Amino acid sequence: MSLTIAIPKGRLGSQAIDMLKAAGIGESIDEKSRKLVFDDEQRNLRFMLLKNSDIITYVENGVADIGISGKDMIMENSADIYELYKMNIGKCKISVAGIKGKKIFKDDTIIKVATKFPETAKKYFNSKGQKIKIIKLNGSIELAPILGLSDVIVDIVETGNTLKANGLEVFEDMYPITAMVISNKISYKLKRKEIKEIIELIRKEDEKYGENN
Amino acid sequence: MNFLNIEDEMKFFQKMYVLRKDIENFLFDEGYMNIEPSIFEGYDDFIGVNSRIDKKSTVKLLDNNSEILILTPDITTGIVNKFMPRWEMSSLLKIFYYGKTYKHNGVGIKENREMGVEIIGERNHFTDENILNTSARIIAKYSSNYLFEIGNSKFLKGIMQSCSFKKEDYENILDILYLKNRQELKDYLSKLPYREPMSTLLNIFDLEGTFDEISEELKGLYMNDLMKQGLDELKKIDNYMKNITDKITYDLSMVSELSYYDGTIFRGYIEGSNKAIIKGGRYDSFTEQYGYKIPAMGFTVELDELIKVLYKEEQ
Repeated sequence: MSLTIAIPKGRLGSQAIDMLKAAGIGESIDEKSRKLVFDDEQRNLRFMLLKNSDIITYVENGVADIGISGKDMIMENSADIYELYKMNIGKCKISVAGIKGKKIFKDDTIIKVATKFPETAKKYFNSKGQKIKIIKLNGSIELAPILGLSDVIVDIVETGNTLKANGLEVFEDMYPITAMVISNKISYKLKRKEIKEIIELIRKEDEKYGENN
Repeated sequence: MNFLNIEDEMKFFQKMYVLRKDIENFLFDEGYMNIEPSIFEGYDDFIGVNSRIDKKSTVKLLDNNSEILILTPDITTGIVNKFMPRWEMSSLLKIFYYGKTYKHNGVGIKENREMGVEIIGERNHFTDENILNTSARIIAKYSSNYLFEIGNSKFLKGIMQSCSFKKEDYENILDILYLKNRQELKDYLSKLPYREPMSTLLNIFDLEGTFDEISEELKGLYMNDLMKQGLDELKKIDNYMKNITDKITYDLSMVSELSYYDGTIFRGYIEGSNKAIIKGGRYDSFTEQYGYKIPAMGFTVELDELIKVLYKEEQ
């Protein structure tokens, strides 16, 4: 029985591919080529390179059996999938940030929040009892408070350097983020042994990575 | 690109009709009686019973007295609510029905065709076997590449009860189990005061596969009476099902969206489909709200999903 594995393009994907290669299952993947699908006929594996934010859609709908995706995307989409393994790569935080020193908001104000993650932001501020207005942006989120479009931003923070360079600071860390190996629910039932084998291979490499970093 | 034309649409309806009649005839011949389920439910009654259901997804309406009604998202709830208030202890119902369930799916209201089977009030030990056998025979009619997944909610309940979690923790843990997120479960439990049953809970994702594999994994793990009862029920089913089909897997971490299940829970999958085709289980404790515990079990066949698989095979 064959297994289809969805891998994100970009930095997270490169790290994941290195890991798969080290585990001895990723040699069919050629990142330099423009191809998006790679078949490993010997092992009956198919790899698909997809946009990070699309991995969940492919896995949830069963086009891919398993996939590697950031926890940020999983939370935002609240998809019906299994979160089988939390990896040591892709570590960062999703945080609330704003203009340095402008941290105070009065009791009943509605805070304007610029973000790529509206659902996650809603859930977080709701649990704090804070009313908000979401401003959905797709990039350069850091600009929003500076230009007066929003009071704060909710975004992924890795080193905090981008924030600093734009005169912003983290007000609050919301959730820790890592990459996860996710699986389609039905695939997990029908191909459980195969899926567990692959995850075991990834886990071994990932733990090695975790020890060294 | 060719969009759906009348001819193809008619073909689909005929196919659905034939499929539906096919299953109806089979169930009628097996001695089940037909009923017509209602499509309305009281909102409060429904949520009271099914606390885990996504409230936003229910389709609400108002009646004359401004009471909130919903278009039924689960027909079994309606059947229990219909018969239980006037139940007589000697009653035995073996019924089947065709009906639709309704849910908001984000874009609009999704109608879902299903065929359901319920056995209520049978006081012998063969209801589990009968229900599983009937559902296995239905799925086997349409595909040879199917898989049955069977669990027992008493096992998990046994763990959760003796851990005596707060309601919030209880719900959060169920959500984590629903996602099979091993590391998050470990992190979450490590923040709570340690109790012995947690040792089994931490290993619950390994309690899947064949019954023998599960028994092997269970060695040395914490077990109480309710968990043992669930396991014994599962063993009995395994002994029976072995003779019917080998396309079975067991999973003790199975969590259902419908919280009234109490005992055996099962689902049937067909290769090539991305949803469960059959869903069912035992719900004795559901009837308890009406004052008496009556053995009750049932399942539904997701016709819309099944017909998709049949079409796919044809093309």
